[in-house]
Amino acid sequence: MKRIIAAILLLALTASSGIAADLPKLRVGYVPEPAHGLYFLAKEKGYFKEEGVDVELFQFGSAAEGVAAVKAGKLDVGTFGTTAPLLFISKGSEFTFIGGMMIGGQAIIARPERLAELSGKDLKVYKGKKIGLVKLSTGDVIFRGALKKAGIDVKKDLTFVEFGSAAAVVEAVKKGAVDAGLVWPPHFSLAEKNHGLKVAHYISEFYPDYTCCRIFAHTAKVNSEPETYRRFLTALIRAYKFYKTNPEETVQVYTKALKIDEDIVRNETYVKKVADSNPDPLRKGILDFWQHILAAGYIPQDYPIDKHINTAIYKQALDSVIKKEPKDKIYQQMLTFYKKNN
Amino acid sequence: MSLIAMRMIIPMIVAAALVCSGAKPVSATMQKTLRFGYLDHPGSALFLIAAAKEYFREEGLQVELIRYSESARGLSALETGVIDVGAFTTSDSLRAIADGKGFRIIAGGGTQLSANPLTELDDALQAETDSRGIIVLIPPSWPNAEKGTIIQLTAAIIKAYRTQQQSQTRDSKHTAAVHFDPNPDYWRLERIWRSLGLQDSTMKRDFLASHVYEEIYCDALDRMLLGPIDSILQQLFSKAVCTPNCCPASAAKL
Repeated sequence: MKRIIAAILLLALTASSGIAADLPKLRVGYVPEPAHGLYFLAKEKGYFKEEGVDVELFQFGSAAEGVAAVKAGKLDVGTFGTTAPLLFISKGSEFTFIGGMMIGGQAIIARPERLAELSGKDLKVYKGKKIGLVKLSTGDVIFRGALKKAGIDVKKDLTFVEFGSAAAVVEAVKKGAVDAGLVWPPHFSLAEKNHGLKVAHYISEFYPDYTCCRIFAHTAKVNSEPETYRRFLTALIRAYKFYKTNPEETVQVYTKALKIDEDIVRNETYVKKVADSNPDPLRKGILDFWQHILAAGYIPQDYPIDKHINTAIYKQALDSVIKKEPKDKIYQQMLTFYKKNN
Repeated sequence: MSLIAMRMIIPMIVAAALVCSGAKPVSATMQKTLRFGYLDHPGSALFLIAAAKEYFREEGLQVELIRYSESARGLSALETGVIDVGAFTTSDSLRAIADGKGFRIIAGGGTQLSANPLTELDDALQAETDSRGIIVLIPPSWPNAEKGTIIQLTAAIIKAYRTQQQSQTRDSKHTAAVHFDPNPDYWRLERIWRSLGLQDSTMKRDFLASHVYEEIYCDALDRMLLGPIDSILQQLFSKAVCTPNCCPASAAKL
């Protein structure tokens, strides 16, 4: 009996893998954040398969290891922040940005008794303060950019204390070793829930639509298989529409995939809307980000990053869904957003 | 500087570092002995300090130091597997890499400071001075599975640097002539690489970067930063350009 069951299972597996085997494969790396959820939706709802691409998802705990896996050809797509791929490109890696996953998401946390002093609509409240952060994190780079835009001298007007992890930043804020700390989701939600800390500001209040995790791949693979990547991005565009129109099911999918508190997922994704998931490449945002890294002195020499950004494949993907549903409001909004940011 | 003068400086730096901090008893799980070849040069002092202070042992490593009088001989020993790790001059090491030896740079050592006051103002002079410093390399045969061992090795060198820095603040007369920095520092190496004209038109743009294993240094530093706040480590961390770890190791940890 066991042999018969095994044989049936084998046949079933062979049949299903036979379908998948006909599709081009993409191995996709991501980090466990709710804002990376479009991958889970596209997988769960079957959009990848419907668009004709067989996607396998790999979760990474370290951006450095994830980018190294793309460089080594072990992954076909990477989603590991903006800084990490930019650092690799600056050192000669042939990567191309083809899309995006997360916009915004960074927050400044403080002890509750400091909240009145640090809140308000002006970044000048941080003058003279000691800010804990993870060096080269999106929050670090974008906060510096926001301060510069506000006319605040980052070298003279405030002090940055660098830590190795978001958890260490939270701990420093909790102990009062710093006045405030810059962290990303879900760390500030957890800091609020577990340690009673408060979010003083979301950086997007001062710097709207800044880039966080970007989707990138090996340039040679992008150039040789643009149709595969178009299908992949088309599936993500459809997942974006689902996320915008089906909040409750989306929360369930994210919670199941990430195994984190459902309330945190719901709050960050739909209530507080701390970050947006959006597959748009945000070319202008990447270029801005690069300039902030240079201005901070993290990289000593400029490099033409623009030639590592391909917006055409995303545009083709967007055009393909609009062609099928020309009156769809979500897709039309995506088109407007694309025109503004690329 | 003459060879005799160089040989006099090394014991002074090491002795100063040892006098200024007490030796610690250690217990470590010993692995196979790592043969660590180093050039007889003041910039190699960190490795002697790491051995004398038992920082290698503290990291669970059994290290045998083997002295070489010439970088060329040491690099040849590294290539043929006579030694497992090597610390030799930057210029010779980079030339070997350009020749396709496949070595990977995991840490920095020491560089003798130039007496020429123009050095700091002139990139070419600075690159020339830096090219005479020491860097630490591993051969391409190191298995990826042993990444942990390289991190331990680098951590021991960082500990030696901390000891050297602490001793320098107390007794600076012998050590000021050498600048130590355990950071492999890709961008410094890239300047030397360019100044030596090593980038061949057939090489990929990331040829050098593929041979600089900065991730190891960052991982070692990250691990050490988990301990009590240490100003010397904080300074190293501020200077390093490490890819930020954006997430916990697994979602389950959330």
